[in-house]
Amino acid sequence: MNIRTTLAATSALAMTAVGGSVAAETMTIGITQNNVGVDSYQTTYEKAFIAAAEANSKVDVVVLDAGGDVARQIAQMEDLIQQEVDAIIIWPTNGEAVIPAVRKASKANIPVVVTNSNIAEAGFPFVASFSGPDNITQGSRSAEIMCDKFKEMGIENEARVVQISGQPGYTTAIERQKGFDDRLPEVCPNVTLVETQPGDWNREKSQKVMEAFLVKYDDIDGVYSGDDNMGVGALNAAKAAGRDGIIFVGATNFAVGYEAMERGEYWGSIYQSPVDDAKAALKTAIETLEGKELPFLNYFDTPKITQDNMGDFTKPVF
Amino acid sequence: MQAGTLSTFLKRGAIWGFILFELIFFSVAGAFLSLSDKAFMDLDNMLRLFKQSAPIGIIAMGMTIIMINGNIDLSVGATFALCAIVLLDSLTWPIFAGLGDWVIPVSWALALLTGVLLGAINGLIVWKTGVDAFIVTLGSMLGYRGLVFMYNGEQPTSHLNWTLVDFAETQFLGLHTATWFLLAVTLVIWFLMTRTIHGRNAYAIGDNREAAVNAGIRVGPHMMINFMIIGFLAALSAVVFYSESGSVNPNDGELYELWIITAVVLGGTKLTGGAGSVISTFGGVLAIQLLRKGLGHIGADTSTVNLVIGLILIAVLYLDRQLNRKGAEELKI
Repeated sequence: MNIRTTLAATSALAMTAVGGSVAAETMTIGITQNNVGVDSYQTTYEKAFIAAAEANSKVDVVVLDAGGDVARQIAQMEDLIQQEVDAIIIWPTNGEAVIPAVRKASKANIPVVVTNSNIAEAGFPFVASFSGPDNITQGSRSAEIMCDKFKEMGIENEARVVQISGQPGYTTAIERQKGFDDRLPEVCPNVTLVETQPGDWNREKSQKVMEAFLVKYDDIDGVYSGDDNMGVGALNAAKAAGRDGIIFVGATNFAVGYEAMERGEYWGSIYQSPVDDAKAALKTAIETLEGKELPFLNYFDTPKITQDNMGDFTKPVF
Repeated sequence: MQAGTLSTFLKRGAIWGFILFELIFFSVAGAFLSLSDKAFMDLDNMLRLFKQSAPIGIIAMGMTIIMINGNIDLSVGATFALCAIVLLDSLTWPIFAGLGDWVIPVSWALALLTGVLLGAINGLIVWKTGVDAFIVTLGSMLGYRGLVFMYNGEQPTSHLNWTLVDFAETQFLGLHTATWFLLAVTLVIWFLMTRTIHGRNAYAIGDNREAAVNAGIRVGPHMMINFMIIGFLAALSAVVFYSESGSVNPNDGELYELWIITAVVLGGTKLTGGAGSVISTFGGVLAIQLLRKGLGHIGADTSTVNLVIGLILIAVLYLDRQLNRKGAEELKI
C-alpha cells in the first residue's frame, strides 16, 4: 500500500466518521403510509407520528401517504430513495406488491422498517425490522381474559365457546386465531371451543354467523371475535335473540366495543393504540440507525382491557 | 400574424408552460424546504418521473382518442385491475407449467387479449344500442370491478416472479422499461391521430357526428375500434406495472379513470370532442406526476395534491373558454 492510497483510505475513514456523526446529530426518516384518510386509526397514527418526530430534535421526517394506491406507494419509495433519506418506514398497501420497491431501498443501503402489518416472507431479507402489534399474543391474551372470567363465574369446567375469526388469508386473522386456539386449552383445559367461523372483519357478516351459532347451539357461554367490530355484530345477534349471560371478548378495542363495555354488555378486549403503534415505528427506525441490535420483530405492548380496568384507558377514537 | 394564432399558441403551450412553472417552483422551494440535499431536477429524478407517469400515461393516450371521438371511458381502472389479475394468475396455471419462464409472454398475451375483449364489449354496446358511452362504461366499470372481486374476494392476487421484476427494472439507455412503453405508445398514438385516415375520422366524428355519418364514415365500427385500443392500452399499462410489483389488490386502479380524464383535459382535449392532442395529453400526465413528486419533495401534505390539481383543472377550463370563445357563454344571471 503506497502513501496515496493510505491517505485516501484514512480520509475516506474520516469522511465516514464525519458522516456518521452528522447522521447521529440529525437523521432524516421517510414514511409512506397506507391510506391516511380511510379510518381514524390511520389518521391518529399519522398525527402521533408527526408529534413524536417533532418532539425529537435529532429527527427530521418526510411524511407521505399512498392513498391506498400501490403505484403511488412504489413511486414514493423511489422518491425517498432518491432523496437519500437515512431510513424508510413503510405501511404496506399490499404486502407483496411493495417487495421489489423494498428491495430497491435495500440495494441503496437504506434500512426499511415495516410498520403495523408485515410484508410477505419473500421480502424479509430486504427489511431491517418490523414494528407492530403481536397478534399471537393478542389472541392468547383474549383467551386468558375469557378464562379468567369463566373462573370468576365458576363455569370453567363446563363452558362452551364459539369463535368468529377475521378474513381468511389475512395474517392478522390467522395469528389471532392461532394465539387463541393454543392458549385456551392451556389456561382452561375443560372449556370447549365448539366452532370457528370467519366474520371477514365485517359487522353484518359476523352478526349472521352468530345468528347461525345461536340456532345451532342451545348453550353458548362465550364468544371470541377477531376484532371488536365483529364482536359487536355478534353481540347484536345475541341481543336480538334474547340470549343473555354470554361473555363477549374481542381484540383491537374499537369505540363501539368500548361503549358496549360501558353498558356492561361486552366483557373485554385488547387495547391497541395507534399512538403506541406510531411511536414504536419511529423508535425502531431511530434505533436501527443508531446501530442497536434489534430483534427482527419489534412488538409494542397491547394490554388487556375489561370492564374492570377500562377506566385506565381512554375511549378509542376509531 | 393571423388572428387566433396567439390564442392557439397559448392553448398548445399552456401545459408546457405549467410544467416549466412547476419545475422552477419545486426547484426553488425545494432548496429551502426539502430535507434532501439532492436537487429536485436531478437527472435520475427526472427520468423516474417518466417511469412513474407510465401507469396513468399509457391509458391516457387511449383516453385522448376516445375523448376526441366525443365519448368517454370510465371502465379503464377496472379493466386495468382485471387484466392484472389475468396476468398474475395465469403465471401459475397448471397448463402452462411446462413452459418455465416462457409462461411470461403467454401471460402477457392473455392479459392484453382480456383488455381488448373488455374494450370490445364496451364498444359493441355503444355501437349497437346507441346508449351514451358515459352510461355504458359507468355500467361496465361497476361490472368489471365486480368480476375483480368475484375472482379472489377481497384478497390480493399475487405472484412474484423475479425474472419479471428484473425485466421491469431494467434500464435501457438510461430509461426504465416502463418509460420505453410510455414513449412508444405516445409515438404510435400520435402517428395514428395525425397521419392516418382513422385519426382524421376520429376528429371528424367528435366534431360533428351527423356530418361524419353523411360523409360516409362508419361511425359505429370506428368507435368500437377505439374502445378496443383503450382496452388494449389499459391492459398494457397493467402488464408493465404489475410485472414490476407482482401483486394486485382488488381495489387497484380505482379512481384511475378520473386521474386519466384529468390529465387529458389538462392537456387541452375537449370533453365535447373534436379537438385534442396526444402530445399535450403527455404533458398533462407529466404535470400531475410532477405535482405529486414535487409536493412530496418539499414536504407538503400529500393530500394537498388533490386540492391543487382541482384548482388548476378549473383554471385550465376557464382559460380555454376565454381563449376560445372570449367568454361569450358567460352565465348572465
